[in-house]
Amino acid sequence: MSPDLTVQLAPKHEHGLLLANPVMTASGTFGYGTEYRQVFDVQKLGAIVCKGTTLEPREGNPQPRLFETASGVINSIGLQNIGVKTLIREKAPIWADWQVPVIVNIAGDTVDEYARLAKELDGVAGISGIEVNISCPNVKAGGSAFGAEPDSAAEVTKAVKAATSLPVLVKLTPNTGDITKVATAVAEAGADAISLINSVKGMAIDIIERRPATGNITGGLSGPAIKPLALALVYEVAGAVELPVIGCGGITNSADALEFIMAGASAVQVGSATFSNPHASLDVLEGIEQFMEKEGIESLKEIIGVGRG
Amino acid sequence: MATGRVTILTKPPETLIIASAPVISNTEVMPGTRLLWLEASGVAPSASPGQFLMVYCGRDTLLRRPLSVHRVDGDRLALLFTVVGKGTRWLSQRKAGDAVDIFGPLGSGFTINPDSKNLLLVAGGIGIAPLRFLADVALKEGKKVTLIAGARSAASLLPVSPPQAFFNEGGLPSNIHVVNATDDGSEGFKGLATDLIPAYADGADQLFACGPAPMYRTMAQMPELKGKPVQISLEIMMGCGMGVCYGCTIKTGSGLKQVCKDGPVFSLEDIVWEELEI
Ligand SMILES: Cc1cc2nc3c(=O)[nH]c(=O)nc-3n(C[C@H](O)[C@H](O)[C@H](O)COP(=O)(O)OP(=O)(O)OC[C@H]3O[C@@H](n4cnc5c(N)ncnc54)[C@H](O)[C@@H]3O)c2cc1C
Ligand SMILES: Cc1cc2nc3c(=O)[nH]c(=O)nc-3n(C[C@H](O)[C@H](O)[C@H](O)COP(=O)(O)O)c2cc1C
Ligand code: FES
Repeated sequence: MSPDLTVQLAPKHEHGLLLANPVMTASGTFGYGTEYRQVFDVQKLGAIVCKGTTLEPREGNPQPRLFETASGVINSIGLQNIGVKTLIREKAPIWADWQVPVIVNIAGDTVDEYARLAKELDGVAGISGIEVNISCPNVKAGGSAFGAEPDSAAEVTKAVKAATSLPVLVKLTPNTGDITKVATAVAEAGADAISLINSVKGMAIDIIERRPATGNITGGLSGPAIKPLALALVYEVAGAVELPVIGCGGITNSADALEFIMAGASAVQVGSATFSNPHASLDVLEGIEQFMEKEGIESLKEIIGVGRG
Repeated sequence: MATGRVTILTKPPETLIIASAPVISNTEVMPGTRLLWLEASGVAPSASPGQFLMVYCGRDTLLRRPLSVHRVDGDRLALLFTVVGKGTRWLSQRKAGDAVDIFGPLGSGFTINPDSKNLLLVAGGIGIAPLRFLADVALKEGKKVTLIAGARSAASLLPVSPPQAFFNEGGLPSNIHVVNATDDGSEGFKGLATDLIPAYADGADQLFACGPAPMYRTMAQMPELKGKPVQISLEIMMGCGMGVCYGCTIKTGSGLKQVCKDGPVFSLEDIVWEELEI
């Protein structure tokens, strides 16, 4: 018998958000899901999280936007995206025919922008949930990320929840003082699940040109370099909130994913690994399944959090 | 991607292949530049000139490296690359019998108009990589090809001659004309490849260029090329190689473009050189 891999990502939500398996794609590394149909059957995944979406289309940051570091990559994409209207018009109808749930990652400069985005997406066929990226600059607080402080994180969460009937995942940034405080605030504000982590602020300098290696000076570090850091934060947040936690950061194979699950994550997101191995997410899924069969684990639930010590 | 509600295949053809390609040979053909022949049955037959592969280059690299398809021979495919850093160094050490993990074919390549009779190809240094494949295909289609190849010195010029098979199939030797230019004058014309363009542009129905950005900037200024259809291949840092990460975006006359998906081949006049930060 094949093991039960299903995950309920939004147990508090009236309709819930049931995934066939715990492997998701991380926002910004899988486009709109449509692209990778040229590579593998994306319907096999647990869920697809699409590129961060804003109210209006965005052009993003100046080049260079990518820089490879030791076991990592710094990106300064600057949220280039097609905007929510085009997403609803051109992408959602495709998703509506899919079995795999698609979750739309949203980003705004103000609380009101988040709320408007959530409202636009509410009830659109093909969209199964919202992931709130609170790593964006908080214009009101002078540019620090909404996710950096419990209060602003909660404010965004509340506004989004009030504007939509969709399940709401809130994605945390590691660039904060005590992440458990932000997680608790977000949970109290009504989030259905918490995903973490977004990329870690990082920088590189081109010593020949004597200037930053990426166009926006600093960028976000992702990849295996951040995995231990992400794992520790997932461990802490899973211990602090009752909600399902989705682990993300440096996952390249099923062993990495299982570490996150055993640290307390109910699901995982595969990000930059897709660049080096375009079917990394599928490999992770197959690896988890094989591990469970080999170890005689019947249901994923049996191993969530078992490695917390 | 179509707009609005359209009939969607639930499982579209998976046309992009990740393959572990056995190395047939890996030889240094010029100082610091190697020719790598791979057995790539899934990828080679569907590749077209100007397309590239994302090549896994060892554990010390996280991102795959984009390399142009240099030649195709049935199920075999060749890459031509210069060793510039850790990825290409790793690749240079692969031996016959090893396997190289490739992903592709990717990108939108060169377009030869059916009406074109005379093609002018301009290669700057390693820019010869995609142009060799283009020349092979153009010759097969019966086009006349003039190739201006520029390099630092004679040692860095790739000898370009069609294989015997080409002649066996009735290909005309007179259809290919190679003009060399070297910085130091050790072979052919002493000067830049672009210096020779004005002399050859007149009879060309289409131009195709691959080389460093300064070469394109020079071409963009040339009165002889005004109104001529010129296609160029751009180089930029890439993450995914297939249009999802937005790492390779540039501004063009027709809006934002992703070099990996909308390019790497663009029309010369479409590039906004003042905006290009690469
Ligand atoms: C579409 C496309 C086709 C290409 N085709 C060829 C080809 O056929 N033959 C060939 O020799 N080279 C080609 N290149 C360039 C090649 O991708 C880089 O030389 C290679 O990625 C360098 O990798 P590395 O690990 O050896 O160097 P690194 O250690 O990564 O860097 C060494 C130097 O190379 C530069 N570099 C790194 N990555 C890139 C990149 N993606 N584009 C441009 N410069 C880069 C860096 O700025 C650095 O200065 C192509 C690039 C693109 C975008
Ligand atoms: C190129 C790139 C673009 C990204 N874009 C987004 C985005 O739009 N929204 C978001 O919430 N996270 C974005 N991320 C962060 C990832 O979703 C993920 O949280 C992070 O990369 C850590 O996971 P990884 O190490 O597996 O890549 C992006 C990451 C990369 C590398
Ligand atoms: S390299 Fe990712 S979009 Fe072009």
